[in-house]
Amino acid sequence: MNSTAATRPNGLALFILPSALLFALFFFLPIGLMAVMSVLTGNPVVMPKVAFTTRHYVRMIGDPFYLEVIWTTVRIGLVTTLVALAIGYPLAHWMARIKSRTGHALLLMAVLAPMLTGIVVRTFAWMTLLSDKGVVNETLMSLGLISQPLKLMYTETGIVVGLVHIYVPFMVLTLTGVIGRIDERLEQAAENLGASPLRAFLEVTLPLSLPGILAGSLLVFALAISAYVTPILLGGFQIMTLPILIYQQISANFNVGFAAALGIVLLVISLLLVVAYNRALGLVSGQRELQ
Amino acid sequence: MMKALGPLSRRRFLTASASLGIGTIAAPYVARADDPTLRITGWGGKWGDIMKAEIGPAFESEFKCKLQTDSAFPYLPKLQASSRSAPIYDVLHTNSNEQWAAAEMGLIEPKIDPKLVPNLADVYPYAISDKIVGVSIFTSAIGLGMRTDKGYSGVTSWKDLWDAKYNGVRGGYVIPVNSLGQAFLMMCGTLFGKGQTDLDAAYAALEKLKPIKIVDFTGAMEKMLLSGEVGMCVIHDSGIYRYDGQNQPTDFVSPSEGVLSLEQVLTITPGSKMKELANAYVNYMLRPEVQKRLAETVWYSPANKKVKLDAKYDAKLLTTPEKVSKLIQVDWKWYNERKDEIDQRVNRIFRA
Repeated sequence: MNSTAATRPNGLALFILPSALLFALFFFLPIGLMAVMSVLTGNPVVMPKVAFTTRHYVRMIGDPFYLEVIWTTVRIGLVTTLVALAIGYPLAHWMARIKSRTGHALLLMAVLAPMLTGIVVRTFAWMTLLSDKGVVNETLMSLGLISQPLKLMYTETGIVVGLVHIYVPFMVLTLTGVIGRIDERLEQAAENLGASPLRAFLEVTLPLSLPGILAGSLLVFALAISAYVTPILLGGFQIMTLPILIYQQISANFNVGFAAALGIVLLVISLLLVVAYNRALGLVSGQRELQ
Repeated sequence: MMKALGPLSRRRFLTASASLGIGTIAAPYVARADDPTLRITGWGGKWGDIMKAEIGPAFESEFKCKLQTDSAFPYLPKLQASSRSAPIYDVLHTNSNEQWAAAEMGLIEPKIDPKLVPNLADVYPYAISDKIVGVSIFTSAIGLGMRTDKGYSGVTSWKDLWDAKYNGVRGGYVIPVNSLGQAFLMMCGTLFGKGQTDLDAAYAALEKLKPIKIVDFTGAMEKMLLSGEVGMCVIHDSGIYRYDGQNQPTDFVSPSEGVLSLEQVLTITPGSKMKELANAYVNYMLRPEVQKRLAETVWYSPANKKVKLDAKYDAKLLTTPEKVSKLIQVDWKWYNERKDEIDQRVNRIFRA
């Protein structure tokens, strides 16, 4: 074996090095700093006497309010994911199986078009629809169907509506690729063997599209639990989620340590989900765990 | 004898192009490198517009410097993260509650030296009272804002806000992040308890305010009031008066129990390398002509006693010792010491 060739870095490694360094600098370093800040009594850069402490985590565990905030965040994330999946799956299936190129292009444009507008603008659009003086309530009241405005905003439902609208394209685009790669002849074979179209879908297409369902759900859930603008605007500050609490701690309480601890909790929730996803994907694809 | 230039190689071309590019980008900065830069904070909107168009350039011209304004709120976390010896700002402009928090963290100098800021001698006592760190250059009156087209009448007291007829159209603030909300909480203690510090009475009163629509900034409240989404709310006078002449069906009510003070406070950071310029800026902002121009643009009550506003503004703003005496100042030092506890409680109260 040529020892020179063995020690020489290969070209691909050198090619990856800049992006790896960038990733380390702007991803791992900030997370590491956040983890350190979460167990310190202050900022060591600007404060002379700083010690290790667990008080931020003790405070979080000791007060049921924070646990309720964590559960509210997770609940909104789960409901958003399920609704986005329910809306996104049929659309993705249609996009993946449509024969017409024009039809596919039109559907793709329909899915992508909302993403060309900023999240703030889209959320404000929902506010004009859902507020007490919004289009929905004013229309219903002018038709005499209701006498008092329906409480469509400042509720978890309002937040979920806004988040689903924003994140459905992520679900659709993830699912379309996976469903598009499923061989249609498998469904046809199932039907030739006597299965109804529904059974063929349930027993062939759906299991084969599970990796897409899991990937899309993971993406939407992670985005939904870390959303800030939509929960603030459509929740009217009456629905407290982790990102809102983190912002409050930074901007108004100037408690960077506690904000960092809350950030770590948000990160841990996301990581647990990734691990669960990995295991679930391994199980459905016949492996114990993805390597 | 001149050395002849060699043929233009690719390396030489790239070097020359890069040098030219960097030189072009850097030229304006190099040209202004001699001008000292004063880094300040400031609001956006009408305040930001007039500061950028008139007040700021006039200061730059007179003091031969550059003003670098950060109007991207929140300022205090940025100052908190910067080095004490080289702070991100020289002059901090915020509301009083944040200035107290900054003082407690040692991020600002608690007092302005009257020898270095001569105009300090002309301000109303509230502007440099023991409830203020630095100096309050303007104040707004926090009271009640209401729609005038909904048949609401006879509103004279803070307690009118609790009237059941405002259920569904009542407006307030996210107390943990908003000065008006925090000041209002203290007022609740006065209205229904033993005084500003009676938190239990304040919490009980806030509980009875529900249903209420809450926002984080006064600008959002202004929009909700203008759209009719809110009919009665806590707001500062400037948030109503700035729409003067636009025929908006809104009005400001000064409650009989007094109006709360929303101060615009300037302080200087201890590590500033531009102390002289920073003091000059504070003094400049207290000049009668600067105060008049800003007051008549954004409807803030000037802190300088010598300012003579036009009749329209004089009639509504706090421009005499008698009017100023109606102002109720909040003990922000006391409040900030209990902020975490208060935030946890009010977050629970206003949770849907």
